[in-house]
Amino acid sequence: MRRSAALLTTAALLTAAAACSSDHGSSSSGGAAFDPKNCQGGTLYVLNQSDSTGHHLDPARIYTSGGGSVTSLIFRTLTTRHRVPGEAGDQVVPDLATDTGKASADAKTWTYHLKDGLKFDDGTPITAKDIKWGVERAFAPELPGGIPYLRDWLVGGEDYKGPYKGKELDSIQTPDDKTIIFKLRKPEGDFPYVATATQFAPVPKAKDDGTGYEKHPVASGPYKVQSHEQDKNLVLVRNPYWSRSVDDQRLACPDRIEGTYGLNAAVINQRLSSSAGKDANAITADTDLSPAELARISNDPNLKKRAVKGEFGETDYIAFNPKVKPFDDIRVREAVAYAVSRQSVVNAAGGSSLAKAATTFLPDQAAFGYQPYDYFPAGPGGDAAKAKELLAQAGHASGLTVTLAHRNADYNHDGPAVATAVQAALKQAGINVTLKPYDDAAYGDAIQKPSTEPGMFLTTWGADWPTGGPFLGPIFDGRQILKDGGNFNASQLNDPKINAEFDAINKITDPAQARPRWGALDAEIGKQALTVPLIHPIYIRLTGKNVKNAYLDQWRGSYDPAMVSVK
Amino acid sequence: MTAELVTEVGAAPEAPTRGRQVRQRLFADRMAMAGLVVAVLMIVAAVAAPLLIHLEGQDATSYHPELLDSARGGVPRGAFGGASGAHWLGVEPTTGRDLFARALGGAQISFLVAFGTLIVQILLGVGVGLAAGLGGKVADSVLGRLIDLAISFPQLIFAIALLAIVPSGFPRPLLLMLVIGLFGWGGTARLIRGQVLSLKTRDYVSAARLSGASRARVAVREILPGVSAPLVTYAALLIPSNMISEAGLSFLGVGVRPPGSSWGQMLSSATTWFQADPTYVLVPGLLLLVNVLAFTVLADGVRTALDPKARSLRGGRR
Repeated sequence: MRRSAALLTTAALLTAAAACSSDHGSSSSGGAAFDPKNCQGGTLYVLNQSDSTGHHLDPARIYTSGGGSVTSLIFRTLTTRHRVPGEAGDQVVPDLATDTGKASADAKTWTYHLKDGLKFDDGTPITAKDIKWGVERAFAPELPGGIPYLRDWLVGGEDYKGPYKGKELDSIQTPDDKTIIFKLRKPEGDFPYVATATQFAPVPKAKDDGTGYEKHPVASGPYKVQSHEQDKNLVLVRNPYWSRSVDDQRLACPDRIEGTYGLNAAVINQRLSSSAGKDANAITADTDLSPAELARISNDPNLKKRAVKGEFGETDYIAFNPKVKPFDDIRVREAVAYAVSRQSVVNAAGGSSLAKAATTFLPDQAAFGYQPYDYFPAGPGGDAAKAKELLAQAGHASGLTVTLAHRNADYNHDGPAVATAVQAALKQAGINVTLKPYDDAAYGDAIQKPSTEPGMFLTTWGADWPTGGPFLGPIFDGRQILKDGGNFNASQLNDPKINAEFDAINKITDPAQARPRWGALDAEIGKQALTVPLIHPIYIRLTGKNVKNAYLDQWRGSYDPAMVSVK
Repeated sequence: MTAELVTEVGAAPEAPTRGRQVRQRLFADRMAMAGLVVAVLMIVAAVAAPLLIHLEGQDATSYHPELLDSARGGVPRGAFGGASGAHWLGVEPTTGRDLFARALGGAQISFLVAFGTLIVQILLGVGVGLAAGLGGKVADSVLGRLIDLAISFPQLIFAIALLAIVPSGFPRPLLLMLVIGLFGWGGTARLIRGQVLSLKTRDYVSAARLSGASRARVAVREILPGVSAPLVTYAALLIPSNMISEAGLSFLGVGVRPPGSSWGQMLSSATTWFQADPTYVLVPGLLLLVNVLAFTVLADGVRTALDPKARSLRGGRR
């Protein structure tokens, strides 16, 4: 249940999931109102910094949340995210399956039945065996990448090497063409959320030639691939065997979709704002507005209308390593929590339109089980007096000098901008902060290994799906401490009572019941001041002026090309 | 830096009048004088920075969120980047730090690094140049190759690499001086070597040597005064070049570390703001431009004054 720093960055930066707040919904500028019955036609252009497939157009190798933006146009999965604006977008809904899965009482066996009339883009019917093959091939070492959960969760997954040498994974059973059963080695109430990943897309064995499959992937969604040049461009055309009658989650309005990759972020936003020629029909699947661009756009009412706002379940925070002095002392950690100026951090992240102050580790969204708390109320500007008092109690009355490690780039809100804002606020409380910048690659290695982990550092966490489990587990579950790297439990918390609560909640298959338990667990852990939550980012993206029904979905904070229209 | 210049410099009896001539020529050069005035003003401002910032009543590191429009990306409220009686040049977007204080901090770094680097360059350049010129064939060819290496080295790439790996505890301005200096002494050394080679065969040097003066004495008392004029000219041109180097490295994010300020670093973070808050770009941009221009014009004036027969960088004038 852990992801590498690079992938987390990808999740936060590229698919930056977001929830539409009040002004979600149509961002159309003039013209007829959006009508899903009459939205078909035209070409949608996607302007991206990076390849929206994550380089390889193979469902086994793609690592996205909720099926991804462009990838979920090609690959349907057992379940998928609910494609609606607002909080309901955090729900998981059936896609190829008839429901989100029937769990056994211990949440270790999950059964799915396929809908009728499902076909690949060559007209052959989609069967349960195709889905089994798709999951199995994700284990093949020749197809690296993808989500990390399968190996950890499925019985026998840890040493399964994929189906190409003739060996099946026995924990996936297909008693008939419409039924597929997954056997897990531990209770996982969140299995339906994981079944949104492209690894749960059907792959016909007859068309699979391993590493070559990405050159001619077989589509199950509304579009098939006409051409794809890795990291350069992608052209999708309609899949004649798909129709809305077999898919209630995709509108698939445009006739054709053309993606252009490798563009500079400023260029993308400039092109979208000027909306000249084809760019009027363009969106971006990975580029948010920068603070300066936002400042410029907010002077222009026409552009302002086309700036769509959303949120992603993400928290940017100060992490402590309590094994490093003086952070072993909870009073010092509390003093830092009291001293931070969240107003300054919000501004460093681009102001109140791009970030909001956070006092809880869980994002402030119902799907995560958000339960408000603020144990160390610092107010917007920090409470230096209270911080000094705590420092004096801890024996640092004459002040304290500490080091704050941070990334040497600002894109992730863990760079110099936020670090200097924290430094300036802590100075008021008599804490002298020395900044220690790391370059991009070195930073992940340093903070994800207990032996090299700094005492205090900036970092961010976003979940692969919107529930409390993937948000809290890797950070606070003691069994997820990894001595050799890839560790996200920075505080190295290993409390049997908390671990037991993780196990208990993972058994719950009803999200509505799990949510309050996750919220309560977060509120309990928060008392220990192991992290100082700073902000929850907000995302704002532009669309071209002809684009309709563009909203940032709550699951990922990204436009859903399956729902937009350019007609 | 030609034979004529050397002739003039070497002619000892002319020296007293020559100083006055140089001064007269320099004072008559209006461009050079304008450069001098600006340069002196800038240096005074940098030296008196703490006083001026105190006068303004601000400091370079305090955040002022109340002066920012947080909903609009943290752009300063008010015209001209929030310039006011309290913040003379406005404030920085997203932080609200005082731009006047940060600009003066940038001036301090700029001068500190430019002059500090100059010392490194002159010490290394003169030392190696003298040794190559006076040290005999083997020394000359070894040191000559070293000079070639220093000049042809891919300085920027190496400087970035070096600045990135040095531990953060090392004082940054000193590090910048060393890095820029270590890659920037080759020109000085080559110039000095050339001058030394032409001076050492001259009669007064031979006379000194024949009358029993040691090598060191010949180098310091006879040769060094002879190379001082071209050295001054060359050094004057190195100052603006060092300023640009510092600004460039800080622009690339490997120079001055936050919360310290540098014009290059300010320009780097200002580039995205040029449409939303033009003042933020103009302050460091104009300061860097004016400062570098002033020092370049002044250096050119010094050169023309020392060597009236050489063509000015500005064309025609002498």
